[in-house]
Amino acid sequence: MTEQPRLKRKAKGERPYFFSDPSIDKLLAMLMGLAGEVSVLRDRLDTVERLAEQNKLFTRAEIENYQPDEEALKERAERRAVFLGEVTRIIEAELEGMQDEDDAPYSQALELVNRTES
Amino acid sequence: MQTSELEQNRHAILPEPKHDELARQQFVRSFKEHLVAHVHPGNRLAYEHRVKPAFVRENGQEPDNRFEIRDVMTLDPHYRMFSALLRTSQEMMWSASQQPVQRELQALAEKAKSTQGAGGSLRLDPGLEIPRYHRAVDIHCQPGGYHTEVTADDVAPGAVYDRAVFIYAMGQMGPDNADMGASAVAWIKENHPGFNPARILDMGCAVGHSTVPYAQGWPDAEVHAVDVAAPMLRYAHARAESLGEKIHFSQQNAEQTDFVDASFDLVVSHILLHETSEKAIRRVIAECHRLLRPGGLMVHAETPPYKNLEAFDAFMLDWDTRNNNEPFWGRSHDIDYVELSSKAGFDPETVFEVMAPSAYQIAQARRSKVFQGGDFGGGGLWFLYGAEKQGEPGR
Repeated sequence: MTEQPRLKRKAKGERPYFFSDPSIDKLLAMLMGLAGEVSVLRDRLDTVERLAEQNKLFTRAEIENYQPDEEALKERAERRAVFLGEVTRIIEAELEGMQDEDDAPYSQALELVNRTES
Repeated sequence: MQTSELEQNRHAILPEPKHDELARQQFVRSFKEHLVAHVHPGNRLAYEHRVKPAFVRENGQEPDNRFEIRDVMTLDPHYRMFSALLRTSQEMMWSASQQPVQRELQALAEKAKSTQGAGGSLRLDPGLEIPRYHRAVDIHCQPGGYHTEVTADDVAPGAVYDRAVFIYAMGQMGPDNADMGASAVAWIKENHPGFNPARILDMGCAVGHSTVPYAQGWPDAEVHAVDVAAPMLRYAHARAESLGEKIHFSQQNAEQTDFVDASFDLVVSHILLHETSEKAIRRVIAECHRLLRPGGLMVHAETPPYKNLEAFDAFMLDWDTRNNNEPFWGRSHDIDYVELSSKAGFDPETVFEVMAPSAYQIAQARRSKVFQGGDFGGGGLWFLYGAEKQGEPGR
């Protein structure tokens, strides 16, 4: 099977970066990409809800009035905690480093492995 | 047919996005609307609130042109955030518009080839050189530009562009992206009553979205349209045929076409001039003069020249020059149209520069009413520049 030809994905021309550190521009672009995917997911859920209603499976009013029981509340809280832990991982990792004092300057490790005399 | 600005009218050759592809495209539009309504206005606020006062403290006077404003605004955190977001929205727009096209790539090419019925034509010239100003960067950041082909009988750049224009304009050009052409047609009819062109030429027509209103406005006219990019023209031809509009497309450079002297009554273009160059724009206007019959009319739709704008607004409208792959945008907005026209042979007395109201009335109420980068068509008016060729018609 021959491979499908691919459209060019990048526009010819040097891309401008607006912040003093281009990483900020890149981070922002990733954030908006993520926001876009959340929006896509929400639209898809909206389609599911409307189709369910149309096909008489359940109504959107039932969703609005849904009362999670004890077990559902617990599972959701756990899921949210995991979610937040993943998203804010970089901040927590830094705190863990302070706590365990395993954030000594990296140069020390470099020095250690490159040492020629014992 | 829909008549809303919420979604684009479907036609036979427009790619059909799948559920999530459509949601992705609609997000980009919402993102752009949000930038226009809530983030863009912050630029003026930041300028008045902190950037200008700091400039005055330092220099004892206010900045008096767009270049001085640019030098200080590019350091402002809000302007930087706005710019980074606007550039990102542009890249997301192309990416989201590409997805269904990539998926249907060959099917679209096949479909375009077999779409006919209105009696229009397509004439390609594989030997035509794509001008350097068009190859230097991919204009308005469309990956591959208008001319890159990746498959036989490729129409992909046209299919991507047709969808992206709707998202870019946030529906403000109407469900058929027709507002520039439609507004120019309405202006001509109102200001030149009795003008009834027999032959019309649209230069730099892309997918023919602005050409179609001329065919509709003067149904008895013979309508021609040229562009340098073959894949755009293949798509434009199929699009016009599917809409039932008879238009003759040919692959030609507007600087020098193969039409005979004095063979058109009306020569038009829509946002073509700022995509050319200092040398090319002069050749394009001279070509208009050559092609027009005595008594004929030339009309070019553009965004408004900087001379009519406040320095801050000119600075904001100039955003595209560096940030959206529009290298000639800035210079073209400073062009002296009277000088340009008279050097091309037009009588300077006949040169006009007007703001024509948008023919697409539905969007009016929701427009932001300002000209600003990334809010194309937001002003609710189109700038028209043109001239008349002297002499009596019908000779």
